[in-house]
Amino acid sequence: MNAPISSFDPFALVETSAAQVRVASPCGRLSLRARGDLAPLNAALGLTLPEKIGQRVSAGNLEAICLGPDEWKLETETGAVAGIEEACAKVYAELPHALVDISAREATFVIEGVRAAELLTLGCPRDIATIEVGTGRRTVFDGATVLIWRDGESSFRMDVWNSFAPHLFALLDTGCRELAAEAA
Amino acid sequence: MSEYRVSGRGRIDTAQPVSFTFDGATYRGFKGDTVASALLANGVHLMGRSFKYHRPRGAVAAGSEEPNALIGTRRGAGRFEPNTRATVQEIWNGLETSSQNKYPSLKFDVGAVNDAAYMLFSAGFYYKTFMWPKSFWDKVYEPFIRAAAGLGVSPTEEDPDTYASRNLHCDVLIVGAGPSGLAAARAAAAKGVSVVLVDENAEAGGTLLSEPQARIDGKPAWDWLASELAALREMGVRIMTRTTAIGYYHQNMIGLCEKLTDHLAELPADTPRERLWRVRARQVVLAQGALEKPLVFHGNDRPGVMLAGSAQTYLNRYGVLVGKRPVVLTCHDSAWYAAFDLHRAGAKVQAIVDTRGSVREELVSEAKSLGIPVKLSHTASATSGRLRVSSIRVNPVSGNTVGAGEKIACDAVLMSGGWTPSLHLFSHTKGKLAWDDDRTTFLPDVTPEDCVIAGASRGLWGIEAALTDGAEKGRAVADALGVAGNAVAYAVEDDRTGTGVSHKELPTDRSPGKAKAFVDYQNDVTAKDLRLAVREGMRSIEHVKRYTTNGMATDQGKMSNINGLNIASDALGKKQPQVGLTTFRPPYTPTSFGAFAGYHRGAHFELTRKTQIDAWAEENGAVFEPVGQWRRAWYFPKPGEDMDAAVRRECKATRSSVGIFDASTLGKIEVVGPDAVEFMNRMYTNPWTKLAPGRCRYGLLLGDDGYIRDDGVIGRMTEDRFHVTTTTGGAARVLNMMEDYLQTEWPDLNVWLTSTTEQWSTIALNGPNAAKLLQPFVEGVTLTEEAFPHMSCVECTVAGMPARLFRVSFTGEIGFEVNVPAPMGRKLWETLWEAGQQYDITVYGTETMHVLRAEKGYIIVGQDTDGTVTPYDCGMGWAVGKKKPDFVGMRGLARPDLVAEGRKQFVGLLTEDGSKLEEGAQIVFDPKQQIPMTMVGHVTSSYESEEVGQPIALALVQGGQNRMGDTVYIPMPDRTIAAKITSTIFVDPENARLKI
Amino acid sequence: MLLIHCPYCEETLPEAEFAHAGQAHIIRPENPSAQTDEEWESFLFIRSNVKGPHYERWRHLHGCGRFFNAVRDTVSDRFLTTYKAGAPRPDLETLTGEVK
Repeated sequence: MNAPISSFDPFALVETSAAQVRVASPCGRLSLRARGDLAPLNAALGLTLPEKIGQRVSAGNLEAICLGPDEWKLETETGAVAGIEEACAKVYAELPHALVDISAREATFVIEGVRAAELLTLGCPRDIATIEVGTGRRTVFDGATVLIWRDGESSFRMDVWNSFAPHLFALLDTGCRELAAEAA
Repeated sequence: MSEYRVSGRGRIDTAQPVSFTFDGATYRGFKGDTVASALLANGVHLMGRSFKYHRPRGAVAAGSEEPNALIGTRRGAGRFEPNTRATVQEIWNGLETSSQNKYPSLKFDVGAVNDAAYMLFSAGFYYKTFMWPKSFWDKVYEPFIRAAAGLGVSPTEEDPDTYASRNLHCDVLIVGAGPSGLAAARAAAAKGVSVVLVDENAEAGGTLLSEPQARIDGKPAWDWLASELAALREMGVRIMTRTTAIGYYHQNMIGLCEKLTDHLAELPADTPRERLWRVRARQVVLAQGALEKPLVFHGNDRPGVMLAGSAQTYLNRYGVLVGKRPVVLTCHDSAWYAAFDLHRAGAKVQAIVDTRGSVREELVSEAKSLGIPVKLSHTASATSGRLRVSSIRVNPVSGNTVGAGEKIACDAVLMSGGWTPSLHLFSHTKGKLAWDDDRTTFLPDVTPEDCVIAGASRGLWGIEAALTDGAEKGRAVADALGVAGNAVAYAVEDDRTGTGVSHKELPTDRSPGKAKAFVDYQNDVTAKDLRLAVREGMRSIEHVKRYTTNGMATDQGKMSNINGLNIASDALGKKQPQVGLTTFRPPYTPTSFGAFAGYHRGAHFELTRKTQIDAWAEENGAVFEPVGQWRRAWYFPKPGEDMDAAVRRECKATRSSVGIFDASTLGKIEVVGPDAVEFMNRMYTNPWTKLAPGRCRYGLLLGDDGYIRDDGVIGRMTEDRFHVTTTTGGAARVLNMMEDYLQTEWPDLNVWLTSTTEQWSTIALNGPNAAKLLQPFVEGVTLTEEAFPHMSCVECTVAGMPARLFRVSFTGEIGFEVNVPAPMGRKLWETLWEAGQQYDITVYGTETMHVLRAEKGYIIVGQDTDGTVTPYDCGMGWAVGKKKPDFVGMRGLARPDLVAEGRKQFVGLLTEDGSKLEEGAQIVFDPKQQIPMTMVGHVTSSYESEEVGQPIALALVQGGQNRMGDTVYIPMPDRTIAAKITSTIFVDPENARLKI
Repeated sequence: MLLIHCPYCEETLPEAEFAHAGQAHIIRPENPSAQTDEEWESFLFIRSNVKGPHYERWRHLHGCGRFFNAVRDTVSDRFLTTYKAGAPRPDLETLTGEVK
């Protein structure tokens, strides 16, 4: 598959009895870095940033996931990015931090279906069972760094950098068919 | 029914006949047969020729340890596999198989002259024979070795099958689904414990498949097996058959190769041929059982001579009598049972020959009651028969005296040299082995892994012992996991237990020096070879192995190791544990390259990154080149153009009007925080404090050794925010290096790094018309010399898209780099492309980019530099901040070697004859000096240059900056080229063209 | 493939998520320019080649991105411990004692 990610249609890219993969609609994404007392940022964002790696917290249309001891990823609606930047800028003097808009950097595959968790084992060496529902982890899938969000027992999102998407989708596509053939 | 098929026996499905071919002849068997069992049912023992002597060989075993019956299997075009064991390959309608190592035919093979000349081919013959004269090496020896080397013939066509891989995490992995493995699974499979049970065979059961006479808990063995497997599945145990544990790696990682389609006549859709599993188990139970050893005597390799336990398997599992008049030759009780089974199934056992003086009375009396002659205290000294054994010569032994031989006519010899635990996977763990003198074998001792051994793998004998031990080990691993295992006990009737002794080669009344008593069938290693190796000075068992090739290739010691050790230790006059065992290496059985490659072949071979504009480039005829993980448009040939012509046109168009280039792959890092400028001062050679927001600067990154690591244009977007660009290939490396310094050396700095390479699509416009083309689309800045001078950057809007606009040039022309959010890249590209038509806009690729930058003397890190080049070597001392207290590489630049005279320095070269130099060519000052000449540098970049009117080159030359105008020489294979040293800047040294 | 405990994520994870980053506890001098040539050479190039427990650095490249330190036995290829960057060097005798 040669198509760059921007040309994917939003409907299911592959769907079998085992799992389906589709591309999520674009959203606002920000990388937030800070350390120390996070109270000013919590106030600006209107949520309490989780401090355990992999934990998620959401408030309204904003969701934050902790990716490192001083790193969070924020996801929100596309139109809400500017407002968040503005709110955080106001507390920059009080709590220096880095906020970088990465909305355009990546795409998200939504991976669902009875064998969705097993589909991930084709490319991910870590134990998928250790990613509890409602958490997420940055990990590796078929050689590329990805962020896996587990929204349900059999419902995942995988954030990937644009340029990796065709390669990673090719494996997910093969895997959906392989798992379906196995069940047949 | 075939001649040797016993009706009512075996687990084959006689309702499903199967036909297949072997060496062109069609044979019939049944579903459930292997190639070997089906051939044996048809009375065919001759299945191959040996590797070195081309001796006729038949199946000696019935499982994956088979060394002889290696065949090629074919399923239409591309689907050919050599060295498949006939004892493992299941038959299906239409399967084509062929024997190996024969010419012109299996029955008449000219290579068998090697056998007659076997004295020449003794241990170490490669080392001895191919020594001299030297001139023979190319023409005689090497072609001979190449022709003779390797088992089987490689496939020549691309493999149309697909392969897969998967990761699996479980609590308990049990290798081997025989009695001990089954019992371990039952005991360990407590609630909440995930248990995986794997077996290399087509069906689970192990020994039970060959011993239907046993009754477990009152049920016939096969009924018990069926209900036990159903119960285990019910309990959630994952049972995987045709799945071989090929290797045991660190921290309980086991590699499994699952064969999915080799047994099927029709290939199902979307199903890979094989799948490699990477299993991480908290606890591992090795229940691999034991392997039967051959006896070592003259002629022990003749077709029809096979392991007694295997003959029992052929009968009980496949319903095949391997002979009608077999002789049993043994030193272990187990072969007596094989004799009884075959006799009762209709064979007339000619004799049971046991090397031992006394054998359990019940065995002897049962033999007598069946009318089988028994010969105790006997040895075997020979067999006869051309393509199949027709007699065996046995001799009485009394003390050290071997009596006169007696020939017994037979059509099969069933031998047993006792049993050796399968130690392979245990040894992969670096586990220690302990010598057991009673059983004359090594047993598993301690391992660093969380692993236990059960059943025959640790020397236990009999079904009840294996079941009991398996259950105990299953509970032990449950304990280790902190759960209570299931309590189980087993009662077994008609169990066959027994003992035996172990031998080196069997005693003979003939000259042992002339005996062809094979230890390793596959590599044609005899007892005599092992003794010769010791005589010639090999002391270590590892040296003996390499000198003789004992235990190499697919055997990996399965059949040969213990016999080889017994003989070598006897020759060395040492006990076996003092001699030690050679290393068992993974994979346990031969594994296809496909299984290891998995999904990574064809288009998915490796990760290939593509930009948002890649598809446009493809639609517009680009030729691509790989750069790091990216594929980039290299040049855009028009019909009829070759690369040179296309690049010439692209260069000319860019310098005369405007060129468009996809620069999206450039690495980008956003450096943000109050200490951003301090961090930049410390990382890069340049001073950053005075760089105003809205301005950018060329930055040079060194290692602490003082050598150039990377470069790129860096813009200061705001006081606390830098937009850093890196080379395409260096992006990840640079970010890693920056994180390293930031996290571990300067954790006090309030600054953070974010990769934004993929946030932006970056489109470069270069040429005298670049500003004119771009201006109408830009809101927020005027593209004039005053408002937006060279080396400016700004956040603005381009064609309605939010953009970061840089005025930079890597061509020497007026240049802009427009960054827009990545998915908008193609839209902007097409907008500019359309608007650019009025200026005859030309798209160019990386090759033209390289030419244009070389004409200006701009370096490419990694092409013009090689990790030993400093900024001063490159004439870029101007980029080094002199007043800074420190930066990465500052102290390095003061190292004695880096300030010494005569360093290689970056210069331009113009050849005197106008020819183009070769990149990488070595440079000398004096072309008339003696060879080897003193090399003083090399060509780093070389291109045709339309603009200059002749080819240009860049080079590193010793003291080059003080040699302007000198002539240097580039010796090539056919001539020596003279070139003049020039400035690195070939075009517009005043930078007049940068002005709008 | 090894299992490595990330002291930041507090999880034990497959080696494929990590990158090796050389010997640990080599501190870049505060003022490099004050270093003699010999001192600077030693900082840049001289590394130990330990048979047994070895202090080394790893990065949780595909995870939290942190550099951290580890003690790994180069003979058994086992990690004896991992700890955060900046934490003091753990005592080898205690560690190896625990393992035995």
